[in-house]
Amino acid sequence: MVSLTTLYEITFGGAILAFIAQHTIKQLRTFIVIVTSALGVYIVWRLPSQATDISFRLGDFQILWGVNEYSQLFALLIAVLGFFTLIYSIDFMKERERLGYFYMNFLIVIGGMYGIVYSQDLISLFFFWEIMTWSSFMLVIYCCDDAQSIGLKYFVFSAIGAYAMLTAIVLIWANLETTSLSVLFENFTNLSSGLQITVIVLFIVGFGVKSAMMPFHVWAPDAYAISPTPFTALFSGALSKMGIWGLGIVLLKLAAQSGFYVWVQDIVAWIGAITALLATFYAIVQTDAKKLLAYSSIGQLGYIIVGLAIGTPLSIMSALFLAMLHGIFKAMLFMSAGAVFYRTGSTDMNEVTGLIRKMPWTFLTALFGIITVAGVPPLGGFAAKWMLYEATIQSGHYFLVIVLFAASTAAFLYLYRFIFSLFLGQEEKEYADIKEAPLTMTVPMVIMALFTLVVGVFPGIFINPIGNAMGYFGNYTFNWDVSSLLNEWGNHVDMMTVVMTIGAIFIIAAIFITIKNYRTTRYVTTKDIHTSGEIPTENENLTYAVDFYKPFERAIAPVLKRSIDKTYNLIAENLESAFDFLRYVYTGNGQTYALYVVLFLAVLMVFAELIFGIQL
Amino acid sequence: MIYYAASILLILIGMYAVLVKKNIIKIVIGLSIIDSGVHLLFIAIGYVKDATAPIYSRPGLEAGQMVDPVPQALVLTAIVIGLAVTAVALSLVIRLYDHHKTLNINRIRKLKW
Amino acid sequence: MSLSPVQFIAVPLFAAFLIPLIGKASKETVKLVPGIVLLYLSYVALNLFPRGLERPIVEHIAGFNPPFGITLYYGPLAAFLTTLVTLIGFVIWLYSYKFIIREPFEKYYMLFMLLITGSTGIILTGDIFNMFVFLEITAIAAYSLTAFLRDKDGAEAAFKYLLIGSFSSTFVLLAILLIYMQTGTLNLADIALKMADVPITMKIFILILFITGLGIEAEIFPLNGWAPDAYSQAPSPVGAVFGGIVVKATIYALMRIVYLMFNFHSVLHFFVIMGVITMLIAEMSAMRQHQIKRMLAFSSIGQMGLVIIAFGLGTEPGVRAALFQMFNHALIKTLLFFSAGYLVFHSGSKHISALDGLGRDKPLTSFFFAFGALAIIGLPPFAGFWSKLYILLSVADAHLVTVVVLILISAVIEIVYYLRVVSRLYFKRETATDVRRTPLSGLAAMGILAVVILFVGLYPNTILDWLTPAARELMNTSEYIRTGLHLNSGLLSINF
Repeated sequence: MVSLTTLYEITFGGAILAFIAQHTIKQLRTFIVIVTSALGVYIVWRLPSQATDISFRLGDFQILWGVNEYSQLFALLIAVLGFFTLIYSIDFMKERERLGYFYMNFLIVIGGMYGIVYSQDLISLFFFWEIMTWSSFMLVIYCCDDAQSIGLKYFVFSAIGAYAMLTAIVLIWANLETTSLSVLFENFTNLSSGLQITVIVLFIVGFGVKSAMMPFHVWAPDAYAISPTPFTALFSGALSKMGIWGLGIVLLKLAAQSGFYVWVQDIVAWIGAITALLATFYAIVQTDAKKLLAYSSIGQLGYIIVGLAIGTPLSIMSALFLAMLHGIFKAMLFMSAGAVFYRTGSTDMNEVTGLIRKMPWTFLTALFGIITVAGVPPLGGFAAKWMLYEATIQSGHYFLVIVLFAASTAAFLYLYRFIFSLFLGQEEKEYADIKEAPLTMTVPMVIMALFTLVVGVFPGIFINPIGNAMGYFGNYTFNWDVSSLLNEWGNHVDMMTVVMTIGAIFIIAAIFITIKNYRTTRYVTTKDIHTSGEIPTENENLTYAVDFYKPFERAIAPVLKRSIDKTYNLIAENLESAFDFLRYVYTGNGQTYALYVVLFLAVLMVFAELIFGIQL
Repeated sequence: MIYYAASILLILIGMYAVLVKKNIIKIVIGLSIIDSGVHLLFIAIGYVKDATAPIYSRPGLEAGQMVDPVPQALVLTAIVIGLAVTAVALSLVIRLYDHHKTLNINRIRKLKW
Repeated sequence: MSLSPVQFIAVPLFAAFLIPLIGKASKETVKLVPGIVLLYLSYVALNLFPRGLERPIVEHIAGFNPPFGITLYYGPLAAFLTTLVTLIGFVIWLYSYKFIIREPFEKYYMLFMLLITGSTGIILTGDIFNMFVFLEITAIAAYSLTAFLRDKDGAEAAFKYLLIGSFSSTFVLLAILLIYMQTGTLNLADIALKMADVPITMKIFILILFITGLGIEAEIFPLNGWAPDAYSQAPSPVGAVFGGIVVKATIYALMRIVYLMFNFHSVLHFFVIMGVITMLIAEMSAMRQHQIKRMLAFSSIGQMGLVIIAFGLGTEPGVRAALFQMFNHALIKTLLFFSAGYLVFHSGSKHISALDGLGRDKPLTSFFFAFGALAIIGLPPFAGFWSKLYILLSVADAHLVTVVVLILISAVIEIVYYLRVVSRLYFKRETATDVRRTPLSGLAAMGILAVVILFVGLYPNTILDWLTPAARELMNTSEYIRTGLHLNSGLLSINF
């Protein structure tokens, strides 16, 4: 018998047990963590067939938890990613300290996310949302010294988002006397139009912060980069999707009812597109692999937001498709970067190089990952991007398409840099003894890599559940064959053929190249070069990746100079100084305080009529 | 009426001392003066002209001929409280002088902001 | 001995006088006395609670019928607050057991008992002069406790507190005097009945005196200059007593008087404004404090601002939210002061910068601090979340959206300064090891609080069910007058 309560009990209980186990019987800890997450997968899988809605009163509120296909889609992503990342973390985190703390918060994050997607009312949504926020904050600050300010920035932005959401909830309660989502959907048009737009904007800000929408994205690159890699995979893969989940509801369930829908759509779509473009630019100039992936994540979330905002069935489909897929490929990419980190101790692309022969499986995962990101057939990314472009064109957003296309093309640059600098290029001596990452890390990665291939061939296995999920937003009917893509004009692309063709070309090319270069290949280090007669010194960094895109960086320098991040920091500093000034009212002199008291009394007496609004 | 005026004057004098004088002993004295003013005010409102003490054992005395006993009872309590506060205040003054070697309140402001 | 509300006042008062005597015989026994007393009082509180909820118990001292003589009024509100005070008091005793070890600890316990007496007295009494007496008992005990450590700063803080506190008592006394002059009675219910005939100018004058007088102890800006000093220089459990018990009792007194006697709405709006100002200035001042306890003090003032806002709404949900916030704040701030006390003790410095990396060395104490910090920010699943939510909802119900936004802004500020400390605790590398261990009694006290905070966070209904009648009691003035004076409901028609 499975139900939502058992899901929560097991996940949160597992979190506490893991913490206790760490301090009593260490051997049990890993077992508990894995079993908990595996049970999570099982329960989530079984939920739609067995679960009934759970409803109870908490204080003044009717709490309602229920399963629908839209939540189910996200819940499955959470469960699967949670499971894989936890398996991955067994070896990855082995040598670290405070593992009880790590695993407890990890499981709490997962539990919080389950709670979010399964809640059918605003109070429990906010409740779990905040649980997710603080537990993820705990994981962001897990690691390093500079994690402090980064974590704080993350939390402050999250709090601003959450409080925007809370304001919306409070407004809804004050005006509609309800917290139930379904009642809200029905009665949304009863609100005055000013209130409608306020609520929509507040919710968009609330969810937008978590999905790293511009201009609220500044927390994301640092937070992604600094958190421990298994968590980064979940963070970027699943946690950011909570924002998408919410945006979907706001845009398609609330905004769609209001008179401002067209405006909201256009603005959000443009924000999404700009997010995608700028994040891609930033990604290109990064030298740290995790930071690069973080910016790439922001960019991908931008695409998803565009898809949701455009709001045609095809675009929603593409957005959700991309959301699911992004969960998987970004987890893959972070995991492979993590595997590199695990073996070499660095993810700096100027340092690490030429790992392809040492870590073939990691390379394979990374390769599959970037192909999916790039949206090149035969992997799943192609179908997603294809649908997105088509939907954008169909709905007449031609400029948007140009921006998206530019971003997408620019994305090749950073993807190439990622794979090239870490895995290709010359081998360095210091990495001569590197071995492939342990099985607990490679297996989840490879499974997910294969999965992207399967999705590429049979997009239907994603499209059909997503089609069901879209039933939540209205009656969209989709009848997709598992292995082909259709469009409005009746063209269809048979993915099977495409994959076969590309596969054949790839294999032939591989064989050809291998035969041709066999025995002639010479493995060299970066120092094995001729530089006009000068011999490079040992400490000179001659890795290929150094100044990889120097000209490009120079070209986009003006864009990068005006960092939103710096603006925020400036605002924060000024505010803090202003606050600091304020506390000088507490002069430390007892007499001054006494004077305040007397003045307060005097002011009240003199202005009594004004203050109390009473005719004396 | 004179009682009212006197008590209000006392309160104002006390406040002046507390707010202006820099010597903490004078401040404590100021607090005591404020207290006395309030106590006097209390007595004043219970005062009935030409009336006697409110003791019922004397025969032939109407209620109107007695002063109101309640404020007097209250004042007794208030005086005791005022005394206790003054005692605590003075002991603190002693300690402040021990630590700071000064009675100037402007110099005793290490805790601020 | 049958249980009666009078024991809340009599037993700790008696114990306070007994403690020095016992101290002559055996110093160690003294330590146990407050614990036994508070345990007994908690027992009384929990037993009387259902009766108080059912119908208010009105106790006449010395057999005079109201409005003469002194009455004790034990309704749902008083039941709730006395329970809170005794429970928090017990936990504070448990914590003090090993924390207050320097001489003369029997005096510490004596003053502590007096504080409990004063606070329960304020809450229970139905007589306004009696309330003043209890306020003064509390205040004098508080002055002395502030200076308990006998150091330079403690004396300074205590003197400032006393200076401002004397103003407070003067104004309250003046207000009482004017009330007596106008109505000729001291019984709260009777005053409320007769207040309608008092000229409006006089009424406002009295109100202003009360606001200033009680506002000093209730930490309304700009009357709260004493608070940060007193909180930070007193021993940590005393800081907890101030934040958890004394302030709560005074706010109760202020609100009881305002609701009972001056029931016009514009007054309440004034409280909303004062609450907002208090909250914002306190939170902003807390932002860059260098001393952890001073930071906690400012945070405490900020939270009181929040409570005052909610009280100022003058609606039943608002009052209930305010009471809920008082309850949660009492628990959470006590926990924070407790853990901060040992953090200061272990690091040997009051400064926040000295706390670096203490989380590794003293995991449990740091854990409790982090726990409290998350709870006071108002994050689920801790208790603070619900009360903040309820306050926001009730504010929004009153259509004060600006106030909602301001509360949330101050919450963001709160997040910044609390999490700074938390991340310092855990994530700075410097680790100075301190061989002394946090004693078990201290950890137990913190543990109890943490469990209650989590429990209330998960099952808010347990507290909310009590709070609804309590809030109703504060709102329903005529009911208070009727039961307080033993009138039949038919006799009563008052209009404000």
